[in-house]
Amino acid sequence: MTATTPTATRAVPTAEPPSAAPPRRGPASRRRSTPLTIAMLAALAYFLLPLFWLLIASTKSTQDLFDSFGLWFSHAPQLLTNVRETFAQDDGVYVHWLLNTVVYAGVSAVGAALLAAAGGYGFAKFRFRGDRTAFNLVLGAVMVPTTALAIPTYLLFAEAGLVNTPWAVILPSLVNPFGLYLMRVYAQDAVPDSVLEAARIDGAGEARIFFRIALRLLAPGLVTVLLFTLVATWNNYFLPLIMLNDPDLYPVTVGLSSWAAQAQNGGAGASSDMLALVVTGSLLSIVPLVVAFLLLQRYWQSGLAAGGVKQ
Amino acid sequence: MPQNAFTSLSGRSSMSRRLFLTTTGALSLGAALTACGGGSGGSPASAEPVSRADTDKAMKTPTELTFWTWVPNIDKEVALFEKRYPAIKVKVVNAGQGTPQYTKLRTALKAGSGAPDMVQIEYQAIPTFTITDSLLDLRPYGASALKPAFVDWTWAQVSGGDGEVWAIPQDTGPMGMLYRRDIFDAHGIDVPTTWDEFAAAARKLHQADPDVYLTNLAANQVAAWHGLLWQAGAKPYATSGRGDIAISVDDAVSKKLGAYWGGLAKEGVIGVEPDFTDSWYAALNRGKYATWITAAWGPVFLSGSAKATAGKWRAAPLPQWDAARPSSGNWGGSTTAVVRGTKNPVAAALFAQFLNSDPAGAKMFATEQFFFPATKALLTDASFVSDAPAFYGGQKVNQVFADVSSTVNSSFQWPPFLDQAATDWTETVGKSLADKGDTVGALGDWQSRLTTYAKGQGFTVKGS
Amino acid sequence: MAATHRRRAAGPLFVAPFMVLFLLLFLAPLGYAAYLSLFQERLIGGTAFVGLDNYVQALSDPQFLHGIGRVALFFVIQVPVMLLLALAFALALDSGLLRLARVIRLGIFVPYAVPSVVATLMWGYLYGPDFGPFAQLSRHLSVPVPDFLGDGWMLGSLANIVTWEFVGYNMIILYAALRTVPGELYEAAAVDGAGAWRTAWSVKLPALRPALMLTLLFSVIGSFQLFNEPKLLMAIAPDVISSSYTANLYAYTLAFTGQQVNYAATVSFLLGLVIVIASYAVLLTANRRRTP
Repeated sequence: MTATTPTATRAVPTAEPPSAAPPRRGPASRRRSTPLTIAMLAALAYFLLPLFWLLIASTKSTQDLFDSFGLWFSHAPQLLTNVRETFAQDDGVYVHWLLNTVVYAGVSAVGAALLAAAGGYGFAKFRFRGDRTAFNLVLGAVMVPTTALAIPTYLLFAEAGLVNTPWAVILPSLVNPFGLYLMRVYAQDAVPDSVLEAARIDGAGEARIFFRIALRLLAPGLVTVLLFTLVATWNNYFLPLIMLNDPDLYPVTVGLSSWAAQAQNGGAGASSDMLALVVTGSLLSIVPLVVAFLLLQRYWQSGLAAGGVKQ
Repeated sequence: MPQNAFTSLSGRSSMSRRLFLTTTGALSLGAALTACGGGSGGSPASAEPVSRADTDKAMKTPTELTFWTWVPNIDKEVALFEKRYPAIKVKVVNAGQGTPQYTKLRTALKAGSGAPDMVQIEYQAIPTFTITDSLLDLRPYGASALKPAFVDWTWAQVSGGDGEVWAIPQDTGPMGMLYRRDIFDAHGIDVPTTWDEFAAAARKLHQADPDVYLTNLAANQVAAWHGLLWQAGAKPYATSGRGDIAISVDDAVSKKLGAYWGGLAKEGVIGVEPDFTDSWYAALNRGKYATWITAAWGPVFLSGSAKATAGKWRAAPLPQWDAARPSSGNWGGSTTAVVRGTKNPVAAALFAQFLNSDPAGAKMFATEQFFFPATKALLTDASFVSDAPAFYGGQKVNQVFADVSSTVNSSFQWPPFLDQAATDWTETVGKSLADKGDTVGALGDWQSRLTTYAKGQGFTVKGS
Repeated sequence: MAATHRRRAAGPLFVAPFMVLFLLLFLAPLGYAAYLSLFQERLIGGTAFVGLDNYVQALSDPQFLHGIGRVALFFVIQVPVMLLLALAFALALDSGLLRLARVIRLGIFVPYAVPSVVATLMWGYLYGPDFGPFAQLSRHLSVPVPDFLGDGWMLGSLANIVTWEFVGYNMIILYAALRTVPGELYEAAAVDGAGAWRTAWSVKLPALRPALMLTLLFSVIGSFQLFNEPKLLMAIAPDVISSSYTANLYAYTLAFTGQQVNYAATVSFLLGLVIVIASYAVLLTANRRRTP
């Protein structure tokens, strides 16, 4: 399932904008339910199980991956060896992959968020000819399957000489229709007309108003779009798979799947330690995103709460 | 998996170099090869040869070539070329093994940019790329002079209908059988020399030990099926001229094969699980299968993948349909081809030739990558054929396969739409094996699917 | 006067960067794909205009229809499970009855940050019939080893991966929506003497409707475009997952392996159409129910 093209359409039923005041809890909030907590912890165990496995598995040699019990350590944990070998394999190509991913995801996320913020602000706060049509066009188009675009995009990029360059991955990620939609909804309430009018009366130019005033008000929504584009690009597999030929340009997803294919060819007893590298590489690849989400949780949760869910 | 069904195994390598460290003898390649590399051999009249002066000039002009290959550590062989022609730099790119690489190549060709100068390409994929005019005929660059150096059937595989040379062979996979001598001994089974004996042994073994099967015919392994067709003397595809093709994947020979393997699968005396999966590796290590119908790259591959069974395996030729006329097919191996759009045809063509025919480099493929050679010289090279790995109880395994190589039929042809043939096989014949269904009937489905496809692609289709 | 003028021009200018890229990177390829779908390129004889022939062919192509049928089935089974779980978790978190609520919330959300490539590699390993921990446990307990990667289980196994990846994401959206329910509504419910369950049913659920619609629509599109997970599981279950297992996988195979770019464009277009229809069907059903 692609997380890259979430969407909503104009037909989404609209709810009243909620009050900006933070919600409150009734008296019930002071009671705690042990059965419910236990049930939720069980659910939590399910969600953490594969990650737990990954953590355990990344301490094992390829042989131990097959010989020892999957959910516990083997006799000879070797996490550091695996990490070292992961970084050393193919002249350190894994480092390239990680850096590529950071660059692709970072540039895409910042670019997409800014474009969406400007566009959403423009659609929310200005009336101009064709604005509804343009907006609906953006929303309607997101249902098109990515494969429908992949082939022609590839051909067009080839014409432009962009294939097998970082731009081939970054450019398509800059267009985030859902981000635009979200920012429009968000801008509607978060940037009061009265503030804009006051700024205009003070003689501020539109660009200045946007960058100095609106953008700050849009910040939580902006961070939300930024983070979700970051995840979408970080996790993207299909686009770089078809656009990139040079392993030095791969993001970590495509790189890991190419290693996984090699591990498959090498086999269980093969002395090549590819499988252990795939596992360790997988673990290393998810750490940055998980950390980013944990550190930035205040921002994205407030962004979602305030903007992402009210239509 | 249809996409990977034909994936070459030539890239599979093993770290067990000890096995082959004995092969340090003198380079003893035939004299035919010593003249290679300069294009000075007698070029045929059919294609305009590039002059010696032009060649020399091209090879002294600083050039960067891009080479797509999945062969591990091929830098070593490439370095030999760069040493010989210091002006030429070769950038080695691993764009995936087999089908994933072809997919990338095809998209790059379609887009008109991003394609490499040279590619690793398997024998069976050559017609799929020549039908789209994507490969360069190497005759003008002196390739024809190399013909005598290569095993006849490998040269036939890289030759076009009008004598074109589309690629230079690098390694091969003549098919044979690896078997567990201990299991055979325990159950009093003789090494089968005919398919009838093989079937009888399959029944006997499975009856004696329900946990053991004589072999596994992977229901996803379209390449092995073609190898077996090849051995049986089938001519599933015959192209004549550009747009004419005869498709006969359900003729008498094919039906014989279908009835044989479909029957054994249905009886449940052989396995049909997908190969090269974790479960399959485990089965080999566990001794679930007493033979592996494989190719010449199989011995080294197995010794790295089923270490638990060291010393228990032996090699033999395939069982035969007609014991009086032994034959075999090929499964795997690959070549180096030059992409037609290259801006440096001379350097690229000379690279393809030098890489695979330079005596030092060709030998290196056998000792570093453990490739099974495509040159006559190496197949009779004492240090190569006398290697006696302990994994096979000291048997001279290379000699077994070198002998098999000489029985491979030269006239087998591949279709110009390999991926379609593979996908359709998996979904008809392969599926019937996996489901223990009607394999002979599935051959008919395969035939009709392919015929429909070929007609849709504008071919004039002859045959059943 | 000049100021007003400038203001009028400003709107399009803010929108322009996005729209230009949208035009170049979305509409142009889309138009090109539409154009491609009207042609047929043959290995012999070159390219010919064939009108709607490709569409006619696709509508009677069993591989395409099976692929659509499979993702439709996937949608019907997986999406309700995923959204009900997400809803239940969101309500539980919002109820204020949980200990460790923060840890639980983040823990369930974490899989969203895991690339689907990694998620599929992990689950593929866990499913393994020989070395997977479930198989190891089953053998230890002498119960039959579940055939997660077999023909009968595969769709369920895929559904499990997707559910694992996206329950947390949907939960967070729903949870965030719950947090914005105005306090007055709860107070009113409390005054009416409503208990926790009643409050959930008559106050929270209606307030969640827009967010639920959003998650539902994401899920329609995601389900019908199912690609990464089956593509990657193909490597370990080649006899179960065919190249046309899902419609999107089929389009990919056609375009990038089978050289049938034109037909691939057609298949993708029809798939897009199915997604549009399914989305509107979902919306209409939901809206009809709202107005009794």
